[in-house]
Amino acid sequence: MVSKKKKKYSSGEGAQFMTRKAALKKLQLSLKDFRRICILKGIYPREPRNRKRAQKGAGGIKTLYHTKDIKFLLHEPIIWKLRELKVYQQKIRRARAMREYKNMKKYLRDYPEINIDHIVKERYPTFVDALRDLDDCLTLCFLFSTFPSLKKVPRDQSMLCRRLTVEFMHAIIAAKALRRVFVSVKGYYYQVELEGQTITWIVPHHFSFQPQNKDEVDFKIMSTFVEFYTMMLGFVNYKLYHSLNLVYPPKLTAAFSADDKELIDEQAYVAERIAAMNLSLARVPGSNEAEELPEMDIFDTEDNDPQKMEEAKLEAEKVKKLKTMFKGLKFFINREVPREPLVFIIRCFGGEVSWDKDHFVGATFDETDESIAYQIVDRPSMDKQYLSRYYVQPQWVFDSVNARTLLPINKYLMGAVLPPHLSPFVDKTKDQVYMPPEERALNDPNFKPLNEESGSDIEEASDEDKEEEEQDSEEDGDAEAALAKQYQQEVEEDSDSDEDQDDGLDPEKKKLAKEKKKAMAVTAGVPHKEHPYQKEIEDKQAFRLREKLVRKKHRNLYKSMKAGQEKRKKEIWLLRKKRRLHDEKVKEEKKAEKRKQRMQALEAST
Amino acid sequence: MSVVKKKKRVSKKNKKAWGKYSDIRDVEEFLEDQRLEERLGKFETKPDSELFVVDTAGDNDEVEDKKPISHKLQKRAKLKELPKCFEVLLPTSKVQDPNAKRNHVNPIGFKPTALSKLKQKKLEEKGVFEKKLQEAKKNRQLARDKKRKAKQVRQNFSKDLWGQDLPESKGIPETLVDEFISPEAQLHNVLPTQRLRPKPPLAKTVVTRAAVEAPHPGVSYNPSYQEHQELLQQVGQHEMKMMKREAHLNRVTTGMFRRVTQQEKENQWREEMSAGLPQPHNPANDSGSETDNEYKAVNPPVKNKKKDHKARRKQRERLEEKERLKREKIDKKKITDLYRLRKLQSTIQTREQKQAEERAKRLEKRAATEATALPALSAHKTPVKEPDFVDPKQLSGDLRNIQSTTNLLRDRFESLQRRGALAASKVMMKKKRKLKSYFKPGHKVTEKDIEKYVNRNVKKK
Repeated sequence: MVSKKKKKYSSGEGAQFMTRKAALKKLQLSLKDFRRICILKGIYPREPRNRKRAQKGAGGIKTLYHTKDIKFLLHEPIIWKLRELKVYQQKIRRARAMREYKNMKKYLRDYPEINIDHIVKERYPTFVDALRDLDDCLTLCFLFSTFPSLKKVPRDQSMLCRRLTVEFMHAIIAAKALRRVFVSVKGYYYQVELEGQTITWIVPHHFSFQPQNKDEVDFKIMSTFVEFYTMMLGFVNYKLYHSLNLVYPPKLTAAFSADDKELIDEQAYVAERIAAMNLSLARVPGSNEAEELPEMDIFDTEDNDPQKMEEAKLEAEKVKKLKTMFKGLKFFINREVPREPLVFIIRCFGGEVSWDKDHFVGATFDETDESIAYQIVDRPSMDKQYLSRYYVQPQWVFDSVNARTLLPINKYLMGAVLPPHLSPFVDKTKDQVYMPPEERALNDPNFKPLNEESGSDIEEASDEDKEEEEQDSEEDGDAEAALAKQYQQEVEEDSDSDEDQDDGLDPEKKKLAKEKKKAMAVTAGVPHKEHPYQKEIEDKQAFRLREKLVRKKHRNLYKSMKAGQEKRKKEIWLLRKKRRLHDEKVKEEKKAEKRKQRMQALEAST
Repeated sequence: MSVVKKKKRVSKKNKKAWGKYSDIRDVEEFLEDQRLEERLGKFETKPDSELFVVDTAGDNDEVEDKKPISHKLQKRAKLKELPKCFEVLLPTSKVQDPNAKRNHVNPIGFKPTALSKLKQKKLEEKGVFEKKLQEAKKNRQLARDKKRKAKQVRQNFSKDLWGQDLPESKGIPETLVDEFISPEAQLHNVLPTQRLRPKPPLAKTVVTRAAVEAPHPGVSYNPSYQEHQELLQQVGQHEMKMMKREAHLNRVTTGMFRRVTQQEKENQWREEMSAGLPQPHNPANDSGSETDNEYKAVNPPVKNKKKDHKARRKQRERLEEKERLKREKIDKKKITDLYRLRKLQSTIQTREQKQAEERAKRLEKRAATEATALPALSAHKTPVKEPDFVDPKQLSGDLRNIQSTTNLLRDRFESLQRRGALAASKVMMKKKRKLKSYFKPGHKVTEKDIEKYVNRNVKKK
C-alpha cells in the first residue's frame, strides 16, 4: 500500500503560523474584537523565520500569528462575552437609528462590563512579574491621566488613570522607593526600586493635554492598552498598599470619585491632584511604622569577590541615607515652580511641603512659618526674604536626589546660573573613560583632587613651609625610634637584674637549674610578617590559574575584553599624565612670573 | 398424596435461590412497618391528641337536635373547606417530597385579564397609585445602583490577585476542592475555559527590548555643553544619512530618466503610434537602391556546404593535438606540484583562516543587526526611532519655560511597534460620506415641503 501523500504546509513552519484572517475565522470574531482581545491577552503578531513558507507559499507580507497563540485565545471565556456584547451593540445601534433615545440610554447604562482580572493573573503569575512590566503601564497611565474625554476613549478612563497614578505615587512615597529623577525636555523620568525591580517611567510636563494629530496614533488601540494597564495597576496598588500596611482604597480628595461632577476646570483638577499627594494615608490599625530593614546579611556565594561585596554594602548605605534625606525638613514651594514633581520627590524622602494657600488648595503651613528650611523659587529675585531659610532653585532637589546627599546650595541659590542637570541614567559599565578632575568633582561631591593646592596666593608660602614640615617629620620619626630603643634597653636591664638575684645559690644547683632552664627555655618568637607584595604575587598567580579555566568557547572573548580594558586603562593613564604635566607646567610658569614680578618690585624699591 | 418434604440441604447459590429458602418474613414485616410509618407519620412523634379521643359522650348517644342552618350559611361554611375535587391533588402520604425545590407554577387567575388590566389603567389615570409608583421607581433605581457598584471591579480592585484570592471566573469549582481529589483529577474535571493556562512564550523582541529607554543625557532641560553637542552631532549625522538616502533614491528613480519637453513627447508619441504605417513618399530616401533593379532578401538562404574527407581529418587531428598538449601540461603540473606541496598547504591554511575570520565577523554583524532590527509584522514599515532633537534656541535652562517638541503618545505608540507588540499600521481616515441631494420634481412639491425646507434652513442658522 502506498501511504497517503503528505499535504504541503501541514507540518513545520507552514503549520506553525496563521494569518490574521484565518485567526479571525477560527475565533469567529470581528477584527475589532480580535484586536481588543489580543491586546488584553498579550498576544502579539510574530515574525517568521521563513516568510514564504509561513505564509503557505503566498507572497507579500501578511500579519502572522502563532497557531499556538490562537489556540490559547480559544480557551478564553471573554470570547463568549464579546460575542454576547454584539447583541447589545446591535440593540444600541438600532435604538439610535430609530431615534429611541430613551431606550438607547437604557442599553448604554446596562451595558455589561467585562471583568479581566483573571487575565492579569494569567499574564503575570507572580507579583514580581507584574512589577517588571510596569514601565509601559505607568507611562501610559500618567499620559492618559492628562487627557480630556476623547471620542475613542471611554469617559471614565482618564479619571481612573488619575486616581490610580496618584495612588501609586502615594505607595512610592510610603515605601520611599524613588531612586533617580531626570528632568528632560520630554518630561520627568522617574526610577523607583520595588522588590528589587527597577521601574522607570516618564511623566509629561505640566499635566496639560497636547492636541493630537488624528492620523498619527490609533487612539482606540492605545485606549485598549490603557484598559488593561489600569486593571493591572489597580491590583498592583492593592498589593503594594497591603504590603506597606496601608488602607486601600485610600481616602483622597473629592476630585477622584466618579460621582462628583462639579469640578470641570483643568487647573482645579491639577491643584486637587497635587493636594491629594500631600495627604498622609491611613495605616491599617494595629500595624507599626514600616520597620527598618535590617543590616545586609553576607552570604558565602560562589564568587565572593570582596570588592563587589564592599560595593554592594556601600550602595546599600547610600540608599539608606537617601531614604531619609529630607527627613524633618520643611519646604515651601513658590507659585511659579511646577509643584507636582517637587511634592512627589520631597515627600518621597521624608520632607514636608507646602505652598501658597491663597492660590492652591491643600497647603499645610504658611510662608511665614519660621521653621521652613528651604524655599524653592524659580525667579531671579524676591522682595521679601526670610533669613531663617535658604532660597534655592528647583534643580537643587533633583540633583540632590541623584547625588544621594544634600548638595551644597551655593551653586543653586536664587538667581544663580545653574550647573548642568546631568542624567543619572548613564551606563555605569562604561566607566573606563577619562574624566577631567572638574567633571569628576561635579559628579562626585566627595571627590578631591590628589594634588590639590590651596589658592594661588598662598602657594609660595606653602612651598617654603614644605621643607620645614619635612624636617619636622624627620624629627618626629627620630623621637619615636629613640623611645622604642629606650624601652628595649630597660627591658634588657630588668632581665639582667633577675639573673643577678640568684647569685646566692651553690654552683651545682645552679648548673642543674641552668640545664633545666635551657630545656624549658622559650625563644623569642618572631611575629609572622605578611609581606603584602608576596601576597599580591600569590593572588596574581591564583588569578592566572583561574583564567586558565576559562572555557575555550569564551577564551577569545575574554582575551579581547582584557585587552580592551588594558587599552582603556592606558589611555586614561596617559591622559592623566598629560594633564598632570600640563598643570605642573602652568604652575611653574606662574611661579616664574611671580618671582619675576617680585624681583622687579625689589629692583624698583632699591 | 405427595408430601413435600422439607429439604435439609438446599442450594442458596443465587440471590433468587437464597430468597426462596430463607425466611425473610420478619424483615419484610419490619420494612412494611417502616413504610407505613413513613406514609402516616411516626407513631412516637404523634401527639396524644391525635391518637386518642376523650370519650365524653358515653355509651348513650343522645341525638342533639341542632337548628338547621340556612343554605347561605351552609355554603359559606363550606367555602373554607377544600373542594372535594381538589382533594385528589393533596398528598396522601407523609413521605416528604424528594424534590426539595419545585418550580413555582403560577396559579390560575394570576395572569391579568383584559378586564383587570383596563381597571388598573383607569385607576392609574385617576392617580390612585401615584405615590406607590414613585416609590417603586426610586427603589428600583437604588437597587440598580447598588448592584452596579458591587459589580464595578474596575473601581475597587479589592482582590489580592497574587495572594490567596483567585479571580472569579477562573479556578477549580468548589465541588472539586477536596483534599482527597488529586490535582490531576481536579485539573481534568475543570472546564477548559476555567483553567489558568500558562501563556505561550512571547516573541524575543517584546521581552528583551526596554519599554522606556534610558534617555540621552543631552535631552536634559539644562544639559551640559558637551552632552548637548553630542546629541546635536548625533541628530546631524542621522539627518545627513537620511538626506543621502533621499538623494540616492532620487538619483536612482527620477534622475534616471531624461527630461523631455512637451513638444518632444508629442513627437515621440506620434512616431511610436505611426510605426509600420505606410510612410508618405519621400523622394530623398529613394536614391541608392534604385540603381540595380535586383531583388535582395534581408536574410539570404544558407547553403549546406559539406566538408570533404581531408578537411574532416585535419579538423580531427587538430583537436587531438590540442587534447594531447593539455594532458601533457597537466601531467607536468602534477610533478611540479609535488615540490610545491608545502606552499600549497600554507595557502590553503591562510585562506581557511581568513574565511573563518570573515565568517565570525559576518555572524557578529548579523547578530548586531538582529538585535536592533525592526520587526516586520505587516506590509507597512515600522517607523525608525529618531533621536530626540532639542533646539538650542529652545533651551531656556529653567523649568518654567520648557518647550517640548516630542509627542509622548506617538512615542509610546511607535515604541510598541518597534518592540513588536503592534503591527505597524497607517491610520486610515474615514472619508466623509457625500450626501447626494435631490429636488423633488416641481409638480410634486407641496406647501408642506416648502415650509419644511425653509424651517430647516432657519434651524441651521
